[in-house]
Amino acid sequence: MDLLGISLALFGAALATALAGIGSAIGIQVAGTSAAGVMTEDPDKFASCLILQALPGTQGIYGLLITFFVLNKLGLLGGGGAVAINWNQGLQIFAACMPVALVGWISAIHQGKTSAASIQMIAKKPEAMGKAIILPAMVETYAVLALLTSILMLMGVQV
Amino acid sequence: MGVTKLKKAELYYHKSVQEKVAEILQASGVCQLIESSGQEAPPSELEERLATSEEQLSHVRYLTRTLAGYYVDPVSSLDRVLGEKPIVSLSELEALAKQTDLSQAVDKVKERELSLNGLRMDMTQLRADEVTLLAMQAFPYPLSILTEGTQTVAGVSGTVKSDQLDSFKETLEPYDRDIELVVSQDFPKASTAQVAILYSRVIGPELLELLPRSGMTLMELSPSFKRTAKEELARVLSVQKETLTKEEQIADELRAIADEWMPTVQKLSDYWISLSNRYRAFCASDETGRTLRTLFWVPEESVASLQKEIEAVAPTTALFLSDPGPDDSPPSRLENGELIRPFNILTNLYSSPAYGQTDPTPLLAPFFFVFFGMSLGDAGYALVVGGAIALLFRKYRKIPAAVKDFILLFAFCTVSTLIYGIISGSFFGDFIDVFLKPLAPIKNLFVLVDPMKDPMQVLGISLLLGIIHLMFGLLIAAYDNIRTQNYLDALGDNISWFLLIVGLCLFGASVGGMVSEDVGLTGKIMSVIGTLLVFWYAGREKKGILSKIFSGLLALYGVTGYLGDILSYSRLLALGFGSAVIGMIINLLGGMSASIPYVGWLVAVIVIAGGHLFSILVNILGAFVHPLRLQYVEFFGKFYSGGGTPYTPLSLSREYVNIAQPAGEA
Repeated sequence: MDLLGISLALFGAALATALAGIGSAIGIQVAGTSAAGVMTEDPDKFASCLILQALPGTQGIYGLLITFFVLNKLGLLGGGGAVAINWNQGLQIFAACMPVALVGWISAIHQGKTSAASIQMIAKKPEAMGKAIILPAMVETYAVLALLTSILMLMGVQV
Repeated sequence: MGVTKLKKAELYYHKSVQEKVAEILQASGVCQLIESSGQEAPPSELEERLATSEEQLSHVRYLTRTLAGYYVDPVSSLDRVLGEKPIVSLSELEALAKQTDLSQAVDKVKERELSLNGLRMDMTQLRADEVTLLAMQAFPYPLSILTEGTQTVAGVSGTVKSDQLDSFKETLEPYDRDIELVVSQDFPKASTAQVAILYSRVIGPELLELLPRSGMTLMELSPSFKRTAKEELARVLSVQKETLTKEEQIADELRAIADEWMPTVQKLSDYWISLSNRYRAFCASDETGRTLRTLFWVPEESVASLQKEIEAVAPTTALFLSDPGPDDSPPSRLENGELIRPFNILTNLYSSPAYGQTDPTPLLAPFFFVFFGMSLGDAGYALVVGGAIALLFRKYRKIPAAVKDFILLFAFCTVSTLIYGIISGSFFGDFIDVFLKPLAPIKNLFVLVDPMKDPMQVLGISLLLGIIHLMFGLLIAAYDNIRTQNYLDALGDNISWFLLIVGLCLFGASVGGMVSEDVGLTGKIMSVIGTLLVFWYAGREKKGILSKIFSGLLALYGVTGYLGDILSYSRLLALGFGSAVIGMIINLLGGMSASIPYVGWLVAVIVIAGGHLFSILVNILGAFVHPLRLQYVEFFGKFYSGGGTPYTPLSLSREYVNIAQPAGEA
């Protein structure tokens, strides 16, 4: 069995969860700090603040999703034993993980900043909640596209 | 369907009945008062009443806010929002307000709040003293020698970084005869050492200048420290205890006050909010001698019953009705049937339509319905959410209309989720395939699309839905333009793009062999006509053939925008896929944990139940936000701009009690 192949694939899978997770953690922190500031003044805004804070969390989930996808493809889940892949296939899987890893990482941070700004917005104008949700969601679009790309690429890789 | 027709009402009434009239208008809950056009000051009586009610309201707010932490509300917050409220009449509340002196409660609470703040500040100081004294435990003499000194000896304390301690000692060597250095290393942070120096007053000034330079951070000791560090620490700890007891005592008193007052305060909260809203709105009335004139918007259908109610209490009024004029900006109330009404929320979240503009709610509702279903896309999740909603409706029979609509919105969307879950074979992810194998053939009977096996098929469906959605938006824009007689814009800006994109799609489909060549040819012709129209429309006001061609080409570049819009709908696949895969992961983890000896089944149940619950929450958020974005950005971008003022009629506040209609009281 060519171990380089499976190593590369696992490296990619690890990065998908790791980088996207890091991005989400930072994004949620940025939004959370802003939310805490608003809630010191107005504790009743907890629910809307929480929704806005949760928005940059999806990237981490997308990363996790891709990681499991890869693990499943490699047969590493459920104890059935790994499938044999060569280094070429491993590199392909690695490449397929990159969109979600990189875009997830960076977009979550920026989505967090947008969420933080939106939280400030609803602090002054609670009725603008709809708009406040849409602004961060605009950033997330690219994470969704990256997720889609990663999924389609992974499905295309033959193992 | 659409925006309710409003009448502009002009009501003249005698001052003696003003309270009654105001009560009727507010209780009816359908009148939105208009700012008066004249710049006159508001009627003075009203202004006074407004001031009184706002003062009372500020008492109510202060008490609610301050006592919140000390009051256990017997009504849970869910019951508060959804449940039935005690019915109280306005006159009962008025009597209650008269016999209640809120300022008395406010004084009581303020007094205790002040002493609490004082105690808390004391406590902060005591905690700091405790830390200092703990660090000084090694100091063998009474602390008064450091805080006061004697005639010849004084002292100073502070900290030195551990690694600088040796060099610090060296600097002090020349003064060896005049000082005594006490060092305790085990100061909480091992990196610093606590030092105290006793010195002869003769060298005082010199030494105090030298110490900070040689690495010592001086520390001011509280002048109250007299005895040894040990004794002082014991004193500080006992004072801390006393302070805490006092705090607890005051908290108990506040709890007692809260129990006594809060039920009344909550009732009065609704009363005073209602009254200050009423007077604030009526301040816009005009005053002429003994009569008042109030302008308001009222829905056409409510006019008759309102008129009857007013006449019943005040026969000498005059009500004049007119249609909104060109200078008016009436608010817009969305009026839709049972099935569409919950979707009003989505339109209002964006922006109400301007009065007279098309109400986009019925147009977006079916798309949101489908998109939400595809994004959540799991029959199991739909059943859980649907079940929860059913329970809510069983428990709470009289949910306020606004909240009910919001819940109904989700109830509707679970239907589409259930349908899509069934046709895509997703039930708690792949739960059936993993744990209920025998049922799999039944599930597979209904499967029409399988995003896991053939994602391209679902991607195609998503993009096709996107094209339909966008083209529908363009047609609405064209219709709006034709309705307002902007025929050129309709043709050049809307229909042209419609022809171009639909034509391209048909052409593409025929190349791909999905439709016959005749259809492909039609598509080709359509797109050519569309292109020419775009070209012509963009350049129609330009002079010179070159600039006409240039602006035409620039306009055609807009096709990339449409491409981006259409691709944006690929999120429908991604989100549905996301729910399915997360569900799969949870089942996998559950299956794996089942192999743990003895407790495996329990862990598996917890993992599966908790995991799916988490997945439901996360995916509902996604399934709400992303389809909404498709409405707001892609769909509304084609035809809708909003910009109306929402219809917010003057009404009674009903947060804690259900204030009954006053009509029967007269």
